[in-house]
Amino acid sequence: MRRSDGEAALTPEESWEAIHDTVDRVRSSMYVAGSATILLLWGAIVSVGLLAVYAIVTQAPDPVVNSPWTHALLWGALGVAGMAGSAFIGHRATSKVAAGDTARSAGIRVFLFWLAIMAAAFLIPAAAGMWNAEDGASIPRVTVGIVVLGYVLFGIMHRPAIAIIGLGIAAAFYIPSYLAGDAALLVIAVAIMVVVAAGWAWIRRSGVL
Amino acid sequence: MTDEEVIVLDETIHQSTRLRIMTMLVSQSEGDRVAYRFIQKTLGLTGGNLTTHLRKLEEAEYLAIAKEEFGDSRPHTWVEATSEGRRAYGEYLANLERVLGVVVR
Repeated sequence: MRRSDGEAALTPEESWEAIHDTVDRVRSSMYVAGSATILLLWGAIVSVGLLAVYAIVTQAPDPVVNSPWTHALLWGALGVAGMAGSAFIGHRATSKVAAGDTARSAGIRVFLFWLAIMAAAFLIPAAAGMWNAEDGASIPRVTVGIVVLGYVLFGIMHRPAIAIIGLGIAAAFYIPSYLAGDAALLVIAVAIMVVVAAGWAWIRRSGVL
Repeated sequence: MTDEEVIVLDETIHQSTRLRIMTMLVSQSEGDRVAYRFIQKTLGLTGGNLTTHLRKLEEAEYLAIAKEEFGDSRPHTWVEATSEGRRAYGEYLANLERVLGVVVR
């Protein structure tokens, strides 16, 4: 059916569907604005952290330098830098797509979501009593698991590609950590960078700003 | 609604792309602006197609378009629903609900 101006006519049901589909798309697109760059930033941060830990473990076996507290300090500093960088990138990306209360509120929600995930990643091992010399080496396994859960949940809600990238990060971390022996940290650092670079390209191609 | 009553949907809005554009703009708080590029990417439109539909909605005074220069970088084009556009969209939605026999509040 065509209208008088030659354009395809919409049925009322199609209109209704288009309205709901558009509202969902706009919300998701606003929430994922900047996510590709933030993903890349975190890939770089995690890789740098792993390489630093590898350097500490292999080059400075001194128990004072190579203590769980040195590692905690390193990851804490990288985590704070990552959150600050993510907030800056997220704010910049959101202000490029829309200006006003709606965009601001979307940006704050996304930031709080990831802040909660990062807080959980640090606090859950602490609450489980893992911050000691005996269990300290297992903390990254728990932390990465929680961060990957964040990717999967965020992806399910807004963009399935992000959930798949999260699973890729899990594979890049867990497979080498069990199979690569002494070189595990190096292999994981490279594998995570490869996964996030591919993820960055994939998200950008899907039209996310 | 009586049997004789005819509900007319606003022809300017009742078109797939323009309905999506108006939905996108009206889903923002009043006074909020949306970037041209964001509309284009989110709705998967070509620049020419989007411009044509924006012009039609602008002629009906349903939206306002503003360009902002940022030094040497590309100018940003912002789109915002006018109060007339919000009113027309509200009326369109109310009529659509009546046609479909749904009540959404």
